[in-house]
Amino acid sequence: MSAVPAVDTASAGRVPDERVTDAGGDAERQLRVRESAFLFECAGESLPAVLAAPVEGSAATGVLVVVGGPQYRVGSHRQFVQLSRRLAESGVPCMRFDYRGMGDATGLMRDFEAVSEDLRAAVDAFFSSQPQLERVVLWGLCDGASAACLYAPTDARVAGLVLLNPWVRTPEGAARTQLRHYYFKRILEPSFWRKLFGGGVALGRSLGGLVGAVRAARVRSHDPAPAAHAIQDLPTRMASALAASAAEYAFFLSERDYVAREFEGGVAKSSRWCCLLEGPRFLGIRRFEADHTFSTKRAKEDVAVATLAMVMEIARRGGRMEK
Amino acid sequence: MDVRREVFFIDGRAGQRFCVLTRPVGMPRGGVLFVHPFAEELNKSRRMVSLAAQAFAASGWMVLQIDLHGCGDSAGDFGDACWQGWVDDVALGWSWLRAHCEGPRVLWSLRAGSLLAADWLHGPALEQPALLMWQPVSDGRQHLTQFLRLKAAGEMLADADARQAMSLLRESLQRGDGVEVAGYGLSAALAAGLDAASLRLPPGYTAPVALFEVDSRPQPELSPALARLTERLTKAGNLVRSEAVSGAAFWQTQEIETAPTMIEASLRMLERVAA
Repeated sequence: MSAVPAVDTASAGRVPDERVTDAGGDAERQLRVRESAFLFECAGESLPAVLAAPVEGSAATGVLVVVGGPQYRVGSHRQFVQLSRRLAESGVPCMRFDYRGMGDATGLMRDFEAVSEDLRAAVDAFFSSQPQLERVVLWGLCDGASAACLYAPTDARVAGLVLLNPWVRTPEGAARTQLRHYYFKRILEPSFWRKLFGGGVALGRSLGGLVGAVRAARVRSHDPAPAAHAIQDLPTRMASALAASAAEYAFFLSERDYVAREFEGGVAKSSRWCCLLEGPRFLGIRRFEADHTFSTKRAKEDVAVATLAMVMEIARRGGRMEK
Repeated sequence: MDVRREVFFIDGRAGQRFCVLTRPVGMPRGGVLFVHPFAEELNKSRRMVSLAAQAFAASGWMVLQIDLHGCGDSAGDFGDACWQGWVDDVALGWSWLRAHCEGPRVLWSLRAGSLLAADWLHGPALEQPALLMWQPVSDGRQHLTQFLRLKAAGEMLADADARQAMSLLRESLQRGDGVEVAGYGLSAALAAGLDAASLRLPPGYTAPVALFEVDSRPQPELSPALARLTERLTKAGNLVRSEAVSGAAFWQTQEIETAPTMIEASLRMLERVAA
């Protein structure tokens, strides 16, 4: 995958030269960006949204954040809030919302594969609140990326997809579940820390378990697929959706993330995915020195800048096609 | 009872604060202000708090949730926030509720939100609302330590010494420098405020205080920490009622969890307040 073209963020045109700093940034930001909150309806339930838009000169290409995992519209450590403000400062309106059953939305919780109605209602609400919009880029992290992917071919307004650490659940998810649940939970437990400081945790063994689980997940993903005859698995359906959609697509992958590694290792090497990664609508793969949720200020800023570059490229291509 | 919801921003210091208002269709029987927990606990508990707000509104209460400065959808970055600013935001939410709702009023808080609620009550507010505290944090210093451990844990996995990582973080904060923990900027001022906070109520506080916690065991029992807090507040003359209900630790679980028994217990408490 090293042959994948890198994206030149400097060519994005409206990316500011200087990084926005926190100090004193708020007042200036408030002059340029207006954030508004509203509720919209989906199948009788009320879904909250927050829109960040430039006060003047809102672009015709907007970004809709598709939330993934156990998060709501602000994202882990408010990544989506910061992203939306950053985009709006550069002229790109950005909307964040909660699916039914998530965050402040009413209704029952649902799986990421059952949110297409929510996405359609959200795109409708986005276009109503920003009438200048001509196209939307869906920006999704983890299973939000997968949901965005599956939705794209059903809505012609979707001109682009920025897919971060896409979740490609396969039958060998058990080892990964161990990674996601057991190891993360353990570091939150006081007993783990008491043991650690008291010498009761063999660090090598503890990490050995982690490595073993990672290996199990990896090894099994290279086995011949026994369920090829059954219902298509998620990666295959995602590939079909990307092929059927007219949207441009880019992948952002974290270096320190097993979800990203599984995507690369198991999925991107399949022939179906290889075709997609050579197709004319493929905008590249960007790698970030980050964990699954990009949990540093630096990583979040890098993602925002790279997102802006992608949006500009999608807007440029979209505008050209319409002319 | 039918429930209406609104989302809006109100003006605060250094920008706007995001609010969710959940209320009955007719005249509310009273008002409830929610003070959210610290950092990622706000995210994890959002669904549970929303369900509770809907249940409270369905039984006649007007419920205001306010995102503090630099939290949730409110203006600013987490790293810009300071403890006193958050206490002021509690006051801002309270004034809004008082201006829009008659009847008894309740201050509802989760985890470190209870520390903020208590600090606000020590200020010039001169109010004595009934208190509904979910899983209250009684000691800010301990809470800060738990938060800093997230950073130390990351460094430990990279072969550094966890204890050393913790002391470096503390030193940095004491020098007045901010640190970054699990994606959150943490200013020295915020850390100092949290560090100094402890759950104490003003002398002569006579309004009812309900302390609820969840326990994952089938027969829930009060934790030693909550039992101690209850004893301490009772000795100080406060009218405390504590209860453990069965349920998951919804503010920190990896996947989103809810604890319906916590909502039921809270509805019973609100009935007593309204009676």
